[in-house]
Parts: sequence; C-alpha cells; structure tokens
Amino acid sequence: MNKSESFQALRRANPRVKDGFAQSVEAGADAVRAQIASAGDARAPKLRPRRSRLVGVSAAGASLAAAAAVTAFLTVGSPGGGGPGVESAVAAVQRAASLTAASAERSGTAVVRITHNSEVWAGTTVRWHGRDVRSHGLPRRPGRAGSELLVVDGMVYGVEDGRWVELGSPESIDPGSGTTPDEYLAAVREDIGGVTLRRIADSVSGLTTRRLDDGSTAYGGTVAAGLIARESGFKGGQPIRVFPFGYVAHDEAANPAAHLDAVITVGADGIVREIAVTWGTSASAWTYTVTYSRLGATSAPAAPANPRPFPDRSPAG
Amino acid sequence: MRQSESERTRRFDALFAAYSPDIVAYCGWRAPSASDAQDAVADVFLTAWRRLDQLPEGDAARVWLYATARRVIANQRRSSRRRVALQERLALEAPSRPQEPLSPNRKETLVHAALRGLGPRDREVLLLAEWEGLSPAQIAAVLGCLTVTARGRLHRARRRFQAVFEALLAREENAQPRREAAVRPRTTTQAS
Repeated sequence: MNKSESFQALRRANPRVKDGFAQSVEAGADAVRAQIASAGDARAPKLRPRRSRLVGVSAAGASLAAAAAVTAFLTVGSPGGGGPGVESAVAAVQRAASLTAASAERSGTAVVRITHNSEVWAGTTVRWHGRDVRSHGLPRRPGRAGSELLVVDGMVYGVEDGRWVELGSPESIDPGSGTTPDEYLAAVREDIGGVTLRRIADSVSGLTTRRLDDGSTAYGGTVAAGLIARESGFKGGQPIRVFPFGYVAHDEAANPAAHLDAVITVGADGIVREIAVTWGTSASAWTYTVTYSRLGATSAPAAPANPRPFPDRSPAG
Repeated sequence: MRQSESERTRRFDALFAAYSPDIVAYCGWRAPSASDAQDAVADVFLTAWRRLDQLPEGDAARVWLYATARRVIANQRRSSRRRVALQERLALEAPSRPQEPLSPNRKETLVHAALRGLGPRDREVLLLAEWEGLSPAQIAAVLGCLTVTARGRLHRARRRFQAVFEALLAREENAQPRREAAVRPRTTTQAS
C-alpha cells in the first residue's frame, strides 16, 4: 500500500461524509438554541429554523458554568486587559501572531512605508490571495510611474510603456533579488505568519503596553536591528542589511547589534495591525512600517485584459 | 466599536451557518460522546455570541471557533475523567471484536484502530489537517504553537499514522488466508 492509499482511507473515514452528519449539525443547532435560551440572554440570536426534528437535544443545563469558565479562560491575558505585565504582553503578542497568521493564510493587504525625516522615502502595497499577488511600488522619483507587478494563475505581468506585459513564470523574475513575487509572498508570510512577531516578542526589551482610543493595544520596546533587517547583501561593493520587501536598512539599522524602537499594534480583535520600527536622530530619523488590513478578505487580483506578450529580445536565429 | 443588535444577530447567524458543520464535526471526533459533543458545540457558539464583538473576521473566525472548541472539550474532559476513561477502554476493546472480510468498511475500522494507536497529540494534529482541512498556520493558531512546530508535528503524525495503518493492514491481510482455510469444506473424508 502506498502513502496516498492510507490517506485516502483516512479521508474516507471523515465523519463529514457519513450519513447522519447533517442531522448532527441540526442537533447542534438545537443544542445551541437550548443553551442560549437557558442563559436567559434577552439578546439571544434567532438561529434559522431547521428543516425537521431528527435528533433530540442533549441536556445543556449544567453547561452554563462551563461556558462561563471558557469565557473567563479566554479573557485571561487578553491584550491590554487591566495593565498586564511584561510576561503577559509577550504572550499577547505571540497569541496575536498566531491568530494573525491564520487570518492571513488566504489573503490580505500589506502596506510597507519607509520614511526619512517624515518624508516618504519608499513604499509598496502588496495584496495577495492564495498564490496570486499584486504589488504596487511607490515611484522612486517624482513624476515617475510606480512599479507594478502582478501574478495571476502562475503568470507574472509587469508594466512597460504604460501597458501590461506578460513576463513569464514567477521563478523567472530576478531570482535572488529579494523582490521576486515568491520572495514578496515569503516576506509577507514571514511577517504575517508570526515568525517576525515572535522573534521581536522573544527578544524585545523594556516591553510596554499602551491602550489606544480605538480599542487596539500598542506593545513597544527595543529590538536588535539584526532581527528585523535580517538579510544581508552587497550594494555598490558595500555590505548592506535588507528589510523584508527588499528595502535597504540605513544608518543605525544597518548595524545588526543596534537597538531600534519597535511597536506592534494589535487590534481589539487580536489581529496585528502594524509593525513599526524607528531609529536615528532628530537630524536623520527613519521609520519602517508594515500595516496589515483585510486579512482573509482581500479579493483576488484579476489578470489584465489584452496583455502584450513579452518581447523576444534574444538574438535572431 | 460595538455592533448594533441587528448587526450582531446577522453576524452570528452568518457565523453559525458558515461554521457550525465544522464545529459539529470537530466536536464529534474530539468529544468523548455524542451528547458531550452537542454540549460542546452549544458552549462554543454561546461563547462566540457573548464575545462576538471581539471575534476576528473571515477564516480567522473559523480558527477561533476551533480553538474555543478545543478548550471547551478540554474542560469537559477534566470534569468527567472517569467517564472518559471508561469510554476509552471500551473504544480500545473494539478492535478485538469478530472481524468481517476486508472491505471498505473494514478499512475504515482499521483507520479508526490506527488513529487509536496514535498518541492524542498526533491524532489531533493529523485530524485537524485531514478531516478539518486546516493549514499548518491555522493548526498552529488552534493549538497555540508556532507554524513551524505545527508543520513538524503534522509531518510526524502522518508518518506514524501510515506506519500504524500499514502494520494493521498487513496483519489483517495475513490473517485472511488462515481464516479462509479454516472454513474450507473437507471433501476427502466423507462418510460412506
């Protein structure tokens, strides 16, 4: 027997595909109704009526205490609740990292901005949906168009002379540059997937917690630059450190041992909203922020209509 | 920001319609009995109703419900350990019942026997992936661990499941010819 056969057998044993599963769902709805009714909640939801009574409702009388216990359990250590200590703040950030990773698994939007002395220096907006990605880079110089990169169904599209061009497969675009579609996605997934957040949470010193007016919580502290700008490379013969999304780390941020200020903002729903890193002096102040939105709710990018085929620049044979 | 009552009700209805099959299925295989599973489903959605304002959107809500269901069932288990012990003992005795010829149903029995042969952690992570269709990141959120840890646990659980299942299957198939020989009619010693 090969591996697929044993897993096929496992999948065939899934209770969802068995007779009677729909009835179990209906019975579950009954139990929920009974539970909520017995909770005496005047605002109880009116679940859609089921089609027919097939299975009896289980006794739910004793489970209110259990529900209360679960609620209490979930409340313990929630972000910002009652001035948590450093230990619970670390746990809250790690929990947010896990929840955010799950939210971002399917789709999301990340806006990356680097500012220097309050002026936007560079930035990219990345939207992803499964393996499809659209990245829009801010123009490097005023008056220039920003860069556009689109990956839909395994085809990469770029903009050339104002028109979409088919560029080929994601693997064929500037491999190793840190800015291929796959590398964008890897950077997004690393940040959003909790790896960066856990790294920051585990190593941050002087962690503080601040409740914001909109119900979100800001967790701040200092963190070694090398944990954020982790990639190293060379530019103009000089060694550099690179932030996720391919941006060069300047000044202090180029020194992996330097301590930078980092703030992770977690929304009231427990999802990470923003990672912000600041460094430098009043004469040369930098910020690097990644803001996440529409996690799990970003629509898939569409392939452009009538793209030009990639011009064949190989020597005529 | 707090949602209005109608928004809350609408959201809860949508949540229940979208995810109750998932939570019923999960509680069905995690809880020690059908009635415990129903109670767990009820507890999960009651908690969701009470905490609706804090529930994340999209797929994260599904993961939140799984994580809550996991805690509810853990609480149930703590409060009824003796009953669970009895049920687990009965479940372990199940494979020793008389066996039918190997059929799709028999294979399913072997699947369940193989699952019982795994440790609880392996079984949980394997079924979250194979039956609930969760990704490693989502499993990590349910279990409260790193994605890389969930991925590792899943890899090991898959390997162990395959090994246990194949061993059970081989034993079953080896037993088949002996069983057939034992029931073959004797033709050479008919009484005259």
